[in-house]
Amino acid sequence: MRRALLLALRDLRLEVRDRAGLLSVLAFFGVMLFIMALALGPEEAPLRRAAPGVLWVALAFASTLLSTRAFALEVEDGTLDDLLLVPGGKEWVYFGKLLFQMLLLLPLSALAFLMAAGLFYLPLEKALPILLTLALGTLGYASVATFYAGLLARLRGREVLLPLLLFSLVVPVVLSAVRATAGLVEGLPLSEVASWWQLLAVFDVVYLTASALLFPVVMEG
Amino acid sequence: MLKATVSDRPDLFTWAFLGLGLLLLPLGLYLALSAPPDVNQGYLARIMYLHVPGAWLGYLAFFVTFLYSLLYLFRQDPRYDRVALASAEIGLVFMGLALVTGMLWARPTWGVYWTWEPRLTTTAILFAVYVGYFLLRGAIEDPELRRKAAAAVGILGFINVPISYMSVKWWRSLHQTQSIDLTTGKIHMAPEMLQALLFNLLVFTLLYLGFVRLRALVAALEARKEEA
Repeated sequence: MRRALLLALRDLRLEVRDRAGLLSVLAFFGVMLFIMALALGPEEAPLRRAAPGVLWVALAFASTLLSTRAFALEVEDGTLDDLLLVPGGKEWVYFGKLLFQMLLLLPLSALAFLMAAGLFYLPLEKALPILLTLALGTLGYASVATFYAGLLARLRGREVLLPLLLFSLVVPVVLSAVRATAGLVEGLPLSEVASWWQLLAVFDVVYLTASALLFPVVMEG
Repeated sequence: MLKATVSDRPDLFTWAFLGLGLLLLPLGLYLALSAPPDVNQGYLARIMYLHVPGAWLGYLAFFVTFLYSLLYLFRQDPRYDRVALASAEIGLVFMGLALVTGMLWARPTWGVYWTWEPRLTTTAILFAVYVGYFLLRGAIEDPELRRKAAAAVGILGFINVPISYMSVKWWRSLHQTQSIDLTTGKIHMAPEMLQALLFNLLVFTLLYLGFVRLRALVAALEARKEEA
């Protein structure tokens, strides 16, 4: 696990130094929110109702820009094979990359929440439960995204293919995350929202274990 | 790589499944159309004899895809991948049948063709996942990477099957719960209806087996041509 942490921190350092990737994701997200806020009209009620959906759709689309980056540098520099050749298991590569993705996605989604809160009247006093939903949702998303980014790492045209694949698989995650967020925004009691959290957690666990188990198998050869 | 000789023609089993399925299909339809009407829905309920077997075979086909995808990943034998492919394709057809008959059934009973309630939504997602499976297969040139990536979708995508199946129980849903509940083994259905339903299920299963064998053979011939 130490190795996974080192890998994640190294990737994070590279990503933060580069900045272009992170900034483009943020900018893309911001533009998307603006367009949707304009499209859905100036009245408060429709904006408020659309907010959970908009937040998650924008987040899901913007995150695809990040997910290809998980393995892009390794392939560019030809270091992917070196990583995979390190003796003793390959799961840690997956976990390292996943951790890297999460370290990027968590602050990003918190920022995204603040931006969406400003434009779409999301209730800021519900910030904590919404952040929990964001964390659960991004974990499910990132576990599949990282897996596919690794699988398709050596493929040309992966930037196009990855979102295509990813979306069909993460739809259940996004769906339950949207429902949980919507429940929170509508002011449902936490006990009712909790069932969506449970479902999200189940997706997270299943996707995470399945991806971690399959990753070494598909990365061989 | 292992080289198994591929026969150009479907074998006896394939013909037997297909022939028997096609022969019994009219009989199944006759049973379905002569089954007693439902207390609440009248003759409308007869669409069930297509809808339920279609959905079941869809689930079953995706389960087979899941199984053979796993086998492929651990054994690396392309034959497993071909069965997974064949099953996913036939499963998509059966799932499509279940969706279409479901919509035709929904219109007179619920008043709309489509509504975003849990069962329909999860089934639509399931359908989308396996459409994605074929988009992926079409998009990757390298055969080995294609098989691996497809197997991964076949495995990860399968998680939607139990969710779709259980969705009517987990959420208060518009779609009715199972009349034949596989999780508890309880059956809520008149014996005549059950008979007709099970017979249609058998017919569909025969057709499924025949089609999958045929499709896997076609895939094998395609692979041989690709290699040559």
